Amino acid sequence: MIKVTNISKLYNAGRPNEFIAVRDVTLTVSLGEVTVLKGPSGSGKTTLLGILGCMVRPSSGRISLGDREITSLPERFLTQIRRETFGFIFQQFNLIKGLTALENVMIPAYPTGERYAPLRRRALEILELFNMSHKAAAKVEWLSGGEAQRVAIARALINNPTIIIADEPTAHLDTKLSHEFMVIVRQLREGGKTILIASHDPIVYDSELMTSRIELRDGRVINDGSRS
Amino acid sequence: MILNPGILALLISSLLIGFMVLYSAVHGAQILRRWDITSGSELQLALERKTYLISTILSYFLGIQLVSLFLFIFTVDSLSPLFVGAMCAVGSLTVNGYGYPTLLLKLVNFILAGLWLIINHADNAGYDYPIIRKKYLLLILLTPLILAESALEIIYFLQMKPDIITSCCGSLFSPASRGIASEIAAVPVLPMKIAFAVTMGLTLITGTIFFLKQRLGGLFALLTGGNSIVSLLSMVSFICLYIYEMPSHHCPFCILQKEYGYIGYPLYAALLLGSVTGMGVGVLIPFRNKPSLLLTLPGFQRRLALTSLISWIIFTILALRPILFSSFRLE
Amino acid sequence: MPHTLEKQRHILDFTLASLLRRKGKNGALFTVYTLIVFILASVMFFTYALKEEASLVLKGAPEIIVQRTLQGRYAPIPVEYGVKIRGIRGVMGVRPRVWGYYYDPVFLANYTIMAPEGVNLPPGSIALGSGISRMRRAYQGDTISFTGADGKARNFTIARILPEESQLLSADLILMAEGEYREFSGLPPGLASDLTLKVKNPKELATVAEKIVKILPDSRPIIRNEILRTYDALFSWRGGLLIIIMSAALLAFVIFAWDKASGLSAEEKKEIGILKAVGWESSDILFMKFWEGLVISLTSFLAGTILAYFHVFLTSASLFAPVLKGWSVLYPQFQLTPFINPGQIATLFFLTVVPYTVTTIIPSWRAATIDPDSVLRS
Repeated sequence: MIKVTNISKLYNAGRPNEFIAVRDVTLTVSLGEVTVLKGPSGSGKTTLLGILGCMVRPSSGRISLGDREITSLPERFLTQIRRETFGFIFQQFNLIKGLTALENVMIPAYPTGERYAPLRRRALEILELFNMSHKAAAKVEWLSGGEAQRVAIARALINNPTIIIADEPTAHLDTKLSHEFMVIVRQLREGGKTILIASHDPIVYDSELMTSRIELRDGRVINDGSRS
Repeated sequence: MILNPGILALLISSLLIGFMVLYSAVHGAQILRRWDITSGSELQLALERKTYLISTILSYFLGIQLVSLFLFIFTVDSLSPLFVGAMCAVGSLTVNGYGYPTLLLKLVNFILAGLWLIINHADNAGYDYPIIRKKYLLLILLTPLILAESALEIIYFLQMKPDIITSCCGSLFSPASRGIASEIAAVPVLPMKIAFAVTMGLTLITGTIFFLKQRLGGLFALLTGGNSIVSLLSMVSFICLYIYEMPSHHCPFCILQKEYGYIGYPLYAALLLGSVTGMGVGVLIPFRNKPSLLLTLPGFQRRLALTSLISWIIFTILALRPILFSSFRLE
Repeated sequence: MPHTLEKQRHILDFTLASLLRRKGKNGALFTVYTLIVFILASVMFFTYALKEEASLVLKGAPEIIVQRTLQGRYAPIPVEYGVKIRGIRGVMGVRPRVWGYYYDPVFLANYTIMAPEGVNLPPGSIALGSGISRMRRAYQGDTISFTGADGKARNFTIARILPEESQLLSADLILMAEGEYREFSGLPPGLASDLTLKVKNPKELATVAEKIVKILPDSRPIIRNEILRTYDALFSWRGGLLIIIMSAALLAFVIFAWDKASGLSAEEKKEIGILKAVGWESSDILFMKFWEGLVISLTSFLAGTILAYFHVFLTSASLFAPVLKGWSVLYPQFQLTPFINPGQIATLFFLTVVPYTVTTIIPSWRAATIDPDSVLRS
């Protein structure tokens, strides 16, 4: 469970270009839910997603993860928590060019110091899960959009996180692939993962998989996660 | 001054280091004044990032300092033919009054930087930066010492004029002459041997007790400090004599030469590592009750104690080997 | 702590892979870095080897040489001075030496002519240094002509060529019988170029020298160690001077390194952002940058040092020997004996790796503290 209380995020404080990305948001994401953050671009979805995913520290307010208060944890602890708890899927996949699909999947586990052989085995298993093991040795720049998407998801799962965070996951996918993505989301949900997606794609936010929808505008929540 | 590649290398690096340390002290001062762990402001985030910069600079400093210690001795040694009467580093160090102070400061700064990094490591293991103020206060206290070292080193080399008559190791360390160094040699061998055996023994015993039972840590650290000094004195008083197999050659630098199989490098490396880690156990004791360090600190201290113990044992073996196995006898 | 080791191994692996992925940028850095190390290492190895060579040669030199000065300048010394010096306590023996320089106007070179005692040469013949032999293409059995002090040319038969081992000092040497040399050079009998002394106890050298000046005020005793010291200072000074000149290049290199380290391409920035977003921490990136610097430094350092070793000891520093050896047009073509010690390597390390490393600290830190959410916001 992630709980944020009265959080705000200020960028460029005290300068002429100061702007408030998130204002005074309070919300809770419970375990096992599939939550979508929806709103137009610039509404603060991404920033809020960053805060919920322990990637961005809020300027004010409090965050707790489970029963642990993590608001002012130093970066190295926050990173460790993020690594163990969250898996991230980005808008542009953000795979590292020049490396193979397998290496890309393994990267988030490098700082944990896990031995190479078991790590590699695990990465291959996850790729197998998405029918990607035949592409394990292929450089990521040679993959198709759908394949890259699946490698990116595999990477998000390598540290066995409880929560998956996806930022506009379908923005670069066509309709068919977007539907495929939703199938994977269903798989993940059935695997017991909590899922948090920021999206303004109706395929995502109108999907019946969503257990909670939060709408944002100008950094504020305008509908507070009512069930549907 | 003498134009010599070694001197140039030392001067360039000490200027660079001086600049970097000053730079980190300025940022350290800013952290001291503005640090507020509870704030999520951009300033606080920037300060937190700066802690990475400062510990990186200090880590690199420690590494460079270690090499520069040996390079300093080597360069000074290679200069000795330029001075009448100087036969090795000892002679060149006395060409003016800045040689020995520079060397001493280099040693002290190495140990202090090592201790700072130990504190830094401990602090980083706590989720609320429990020692951050003390840490940066120490950094600001350490800065003038490092700058003084750079200044002394520069003056030492600039003031060096070849051909000044200086004492060579033979006369400097012969008991007849006066001065700090000669008093080291004048310490009778037997009492020094006893002192060495006693402090080393006690250090190893208290270290083992600390490692096993987590007690007597402060005593161990104090003994380590004492043991470092006694060990250095013993090097001059008798350990070197056995290595050289000469009854009056007390020079502590010639063991770094090829003729003696570079035995000085592992000896001094073990001595330095043993000192820093052993004293590190002590400097951490005041922070044992910080709630955020309760879990990590004892383990870290044990690792330090173990490193220190192993270093001292290596040092003892290296020092005793020539005493036990060479045919040379002092008395 | 196998855990930490494994983590560092992963980071190192990743770093190596990313170094190889950016061959262009890192290749340029490696080349410039290697070049700098190569130049500095060549200077140091060369001056140091020359110094050692000179001191080896001087080891066989007499402990004290006594010259005479007239009007503050060097002048031939009366042989009977030796008798007075022999009377000083501690002096074991005194020998006059006869030698001088000869300027060859055709080849614009200076030769050293010596007439050592007991040299075994038939009348009208000489022994020739290998350098002169090579330059004048004169070999054993040939006849060679030199102009004497009276302006008349004299022909000499080359009895033998001096062996090359005593390289530095014998390349420009000519050996002649004493009588012939006196006749050739116009040095009157009863005068010698200088006197060499044998002293029983090396600790008395200074005392003996002092006494000589007292008895013979116009004499100038030179102790061997003083020559050694002068050589030492001279060669270190030359090396140091070159390094100072080279420091412009060093500075350029540091600026280059700074530029390479801080000018992260958009792609690298993005990559670090991705790493941080997926769970790498600032200190992991700092470690990555540390390994990167270490790999680049070590490979360039090794490559530069090895190249310099070949340059100095196998090709006799063909690239800049003229600058360092100076004086003579007649370079002895010798192979230097390799003299390398840990201190030299440490000096080299301090002149190249330390400035490079210090230069990259701040850029590395900047890179390491890229916001992880930069990936989200892009």
